[in-house]
Amino acid sequence: MTIRNVRDHGQRYRPRMACLKKVETVVLEMQDPKTGVKSQTQRLVITTIPHAITGEDIVAWIANRLKIDASEAQAMGTMMVAFGYIYPLQDHKRLIIKPDTSLYRFQTPYFWPAQQWPVEDTDYAIYLAKRNIRKKGMLELYEQEEYNNLYKWMNHKWDFIVMQAKEQYRAGKERKKPDRVVFDCQERAYWVVHRPPPGTVSAMDHGLDRMVDPNLEEKKTPDYYRRIIMFTQQCIMRPRVKSSVSIGALVKYTATYKEHDPFLNSCLPSNPWLTDDITYWNLNMPNVETPTKMRVERWTFSFGELLADPRGRDDFRLFLKKEFSGENLAFWEGCEDLKWGAAETMKEKAQQIYKTFLARGAPRWINIDGKTMDITVKGLAHPHRYVLDAAQTHIYMLMKKDSYGRYLKSPVFKETQKKAAAPDAHRFSETQLEQNSKRRRPSLSPITLKQQEEEQKAKLAASGPVDITQVMSKLEKKQRK
Amino acid sequence: MNRWRQSVVEIQTRKRQVNESERAHVALSKVTACYQQMATSLGSNIDGSFLREELEETRIVAHKICSGLHRRLLTLLTEMEQGQEDKEQVERLWVIFLSSLENFQQDLKKVRALQEIFPLTQRKDRQALVNTGYAGGTSEVAARAAMVQTPWLSIEETERPDMKTHIKEIDVMLEEMLQRVNVPLWSIEPMQEVDGVQEEDESLEDIMEVEVVSQNNISGCCQHYNCKVGCLLCLLS
Repeated sequence: MTIRNVRDHGQRYRPRMACLKKVETVVLEMQDPKTGVKSQTQRLVITTIPHAITGEDIVAWIANRLKIDASEAQAMGTMMVAFGYIYPLQDHKRLIIKPDTSLYRFQTPYFWPAQQWPVEDTDYAIYLAKRNIRKKGMLELYEQEEYNNLYKWMNHKWDFIVMQAKEQYRAGKERKKPDRVVFDCQERAYWVVHRPPPGTVSAMDHGLDRMVDPNLEEKKTPDYYRRIIMFTQQCIMRPRVKSSVSIGALVKYTATYKEHDPFLNSCLPSNPWLTDDITYWNLNMPNVETPTKMRVERWTFSFGELLADPRGRDDFRLFLKKEFSGENLAFWEGCEDLKWGAAETMKEKAQQIYKTFLARGAPRWINIDGKTMDITVKGLAHPHRYVLDAAQTHIYMLMKKDSYGRYLKSPVFKETQKKAAAPDAHRFSETQLEQNSKRRRPSLSPITLKQQEEEQKAKLAASGPVDITQVMSKLEKKQRK
Repeated sequence: MNRWRQSVVEIQTRKRQVNESERAHVALSKVTACYQQMATSLGSNIDGSFLREELEETRIVAHKICSGLHRRLLTLLTEMEQGQEDKEQVERLWVIFLSSLENFQQDLKKVRALQEIFPLTQRKDRQALVNTGYAGGTSEVAARAAMVQTPWLSIEETERPDMKTHIKEIDVMLEEMLQRVNVPLWSIEPMQEVDGVQEEDESLEDIMEVEVVSQNNISGCCQHYNCKVGCLLCLLS
């Protein structure tokens, strides 16, 4: 039972899919007995069913009607299948158009995707219950999981769902056998589009729901004009940069990052989104032993890149440890932790950082100028998230101007560069790609990843930073000997 | 003594009403399922004035059952005292009724939209009907729906609203139901088990096996991956 409360400002409008109406007109044109797509009969063991169409006919018709070339017509056909207006009769889980003699059929308008009504979970539950009733053990793994989930959170409706499933099943049985087959195909195709099995890409993945109905025309009220005025005023007030400067910056950025962009260049070994092979992600995990050559190259682009990559930061930390100036990086990391951490531990964190890095005679004292130190100490009387910002910026600049340059010339970095992996590009055949898509599994849960991160942090803390007092005491001991 | 006898009569009436409501639910399920089955043919090649009439008739039957059920459940719930034995049962029926109404209203909205897209008023509209592959009609399903009888013996006077009014009526009914009676929806336990129902039948994959025809010594064809369909040989007609 949906809670009907229209004043909760919830996000429930789906993004604009105005293309649906346009696709519908094209599909309706395809039905014309004279100028539409040629149909043939599908022969099954028990019966024959009319109105089957071949992929190549569809593509040819689209190319002819819309005056486009074959590859674009194929893309359009795939879009129609992905939306669910046409469904494949063989290989029903892959929502694409194959421009050969593979058979397709038109979906009945009841099952067309509609912009105004989202697909209800109740209906999905009824469908799965129906399949279960029809033949036990027919549900696939992902369907079984969904079924269990729905049973849990729709528990109060379950009697209704089972009753309705039974009745719908019996009502369906009343029809003649060929019609029954057609209806079952249609229903199955409908749910492949709206609850895609793993390995299927359907066009209904439309992203987040919006708060405002994007298909409504906005009324031009005084409020609307007030908003437009505010927006344009803010645009005028923005600081302006000469276009030659900004374009120059864009050109520099593109030239630097061109090789690393997965859209403009291929990822090595292969783009997981395209080939369903996750080697690329495994090779680029945050705590991997040997980074890839591309990754190491990115570290040379700017200091920010080096620090942003956890593996790069590790390498830098190692270098600083050898130079005995690790406190800078440790301080910077502490400040980041303060900025992004939980509010309740903020005060203690700030105090800890002060004791460890800033106080006079602190174990890991950092070298910042007097003015910044003054501001920071004053701010620490009333600590907040950004109290150490000035000091952090100073240290960041210090590291960037000083240590970063030395790091890039250091043996540590050269060693990492030498050992970096350069994987070969994958070359998958069609069948291998299909196999890959079936072997898709969800990745590690974020909870596990977070635990791993915490463990690593704890290990770092336990291994203990080398601070000046320890070093000094060691030196003293040596001298005494 | 009199007071005791009176409450026995009350208990009996109440029991009768509860039984009637249970049967009405089964009837409503039947009718709405048939309605949905027929609605899937709207806009397809078997669409026609006949189908639309059948849909109307089924909708009226559903409306009759809904109004009667609504009245009875409302009286049952409002007259419920503390610690009534059939409290759980009546609340369960209430929640099932709410879900049924919602589901049915969705179907009604869809049917209304489809009837607007495929008006069928002119001859050329028939050319736009989608070639879905249906061959027969839905008269058997309509007959199934027509055979459903309202379980109460008294013939009640009911209006025959048109589609738009019906949809609005359900909206009003739902809001009123949620506000008038305080039933905690989430406390209802289902009585049916998850896998309790079994009506064994062949699955779609078995039915979809394609006929293997060897023509001019062409045997076998491409092996499709993970397809329970047997060897496919497309007949080029």
